Amino acid sequence: MTTLTPRAAARPSRGAPARPGVTFPRVLAAEWTKLTSVVSNPWLALGTVVAAALTAYGLGLFVRADDGRSGSWVVVSGFLLAQIGFLVLGAGVGTSDHTTGTARVTFTAVPRRQPVLAAQVVVTTVAAAVTAALALGASYLATTGPRAGEAPALDPAVPGTLRVLVGFVVVGVAFALLGLGLGALLRRPADAIVTGIVLTFLLDFFLQGNPGRFTDTVRALLPSAGRRLLEDDAAVAVLDAATYGPQLGPWGGGAVLAAWVVLVLGAAAYRLARHDVR
Amino acid sequence: MSATTMPRAARPAAGERSGGPTFGRVVAAEWTKLTSLRSPWWTALVTVVVAGAISYMSATASSVDPGFEPTHDLSTGLMLAQLGPLVLGVLYGAGEFRTGAFRTTFTLVPRRWPVLAAQAVVLTAFTLVLGVVTVAVCVAGVVPAAASRDMPLRLTEGETPGVMLGMVVLLLGMALLGLAFGALLRRTVPALVTALVVLVFLPVTLMMMSDPGTDANGMALPHSVTPAGAISVFTPGTGITLLTTSASSEGMPGTPDVGPVGGGLVVGAWVVLLLVVAGVRLRARDAR
Repeated sequence: MTTLTPRAAARPSRGAPARPGVTFPRVLAAEWTKLTSVVSNPWLALGTVVAAALTAYGLGLFVRADDGRSGSWVVVSGFLLAQIGFLVLGAGVGTSDHTTGTARVTFTAVPRRQPVLAAQVVVTTVAAAVTAALALGASYLATTGPRAGEAPALDPAVPGTLRVLVGFVVVGVAFALLGLGLGALLRRPADAIVTGIVLTFLLDFFLQGNPGRFTDTVRALLPSAGRRLLEDDAAVAVLDAATYGPQLGPWGGGAVLAAWVVLVLGAAAYRLARHDVR
Repeated sequence: MSATTMPRAARPAAGERSGGPTFGRVVAAEWTKLTSLRSPWWTALVTVVVAGAISYMSATASSVDPGFEPTHDLSTGLMLAQLGPLVLGVLYGAGEFRTGAFRTTFTLVPRRWPVLAAQAVVLTAFTLVLGVVTVAVCVAGVVPAAASRDMPLRLTEGETPGVMLGMVVLLLGMALLGLAFGALLRRTVPALVTALVVLVFLPVTLMMMSDPGTDANGMALPHSVTPAGAISVFTPGTGITLLTTSASSEGMPGTPDVGPVGGGLVVGAWVVLLLVVAGVRLRARDAR
């Protein structure tokens, strides 16, 4: 039996090669490939940019100097339509693994699962931020004509203008991450998109018609409160004066939205780690 | 050998045995497809519950107002509940293509368009029942608020029957528009996103554009039609919104006052147009 020992040692070891397993950068690279190699995603980003610019141009045509709107409102008004693009982008990243069945391969390769969600967060953030920045630039260019005419000019001296412009990108990214969390949690694109639209737009729009202490408190606690980052200081003061619920100020709405994003992503991470993937 | 030939010859040929896929049988098959799934029933349940709960909350909240009129809160729940029939229609219209069932269906019905027509018939029947139940639940939701003020609930007087009819037509219109988008685009997510943009977000954007604004004292201007408002009245989303307005109201600011009947005609025209385009695509283009 002693003769066998050197031969066994010489034989190359079986199983997985002795290099490090799936590292986070490699998961990240895989998720980036998944995002950019599907044709619908660049089209979605382009559609979001075009929708934002066209809406801003259209609304800019009909705004007058005595409406009490500022130039920053004109530039970011396209967010009304663009928000659905961010939501769908995130929901698509969160659900595509589950709808196509790629989840089986992905989670065999990354058995701890949560790095995949973390990588999806990074990828979605980058994609949404780039899309939002392009949409903001396109909206700025598209509203040049209206702002030179009757609509108010973009004046950096108006308090809150910089916050509004940066807020366009920040809220866009946050809505995309909310869509990602809902997608990873619910695993079906239709469910995630409808839930996201109800939470970020429709419920707020509906409750707006019935002001009262209860409805205004609910409105302040919905993710749609994050859109207050897109209002300049004067408009936020008007909102705070009109509400019967908590007065969030300029930053409170952003904090509510961030809490929703963390909560939903946390729930998605829990379901991913603890529950079955089929 | 004659023993085996005899019974085979006696058996009628396949073509004679059945009358082929008659429209009634296509409708029966589509009815089974829709009602044997769980999701339509869940969607219907959520629609009814959301509509009832919101009309109850809204009526209870406004029952303390001096000018409270219980029937005005009937349709408040539909602003959210209308999503139910829309999602139902999109999932039903695109479901055939998403699951691959269309290969079997179109082999059996090679002319294809009867399937789309049958789907429209089946969805209309399902949504009409759903709409009647939803209106009944909305009425029930308003009753406690009316009782708390000892006010009679006048459902058969004035414009209330028209508003209740408009609520049923609204749910039906959402379902059929969803079906048309689903059958046209064939994939759930693009169809759903398109339907939501066109029917939910576009009316809000156009409403902001068409508002004639206020005068120097902050008072609303007298009713006038703006260019954006004139365009907006021909869009399906604005037509849907108009359905539950009362006929005597002035209409939305800046839009021509076409009333609920005009809104219904706009929605009906869009349903027919989109279903015809979907039917043409079915006939002329490949289904994979």
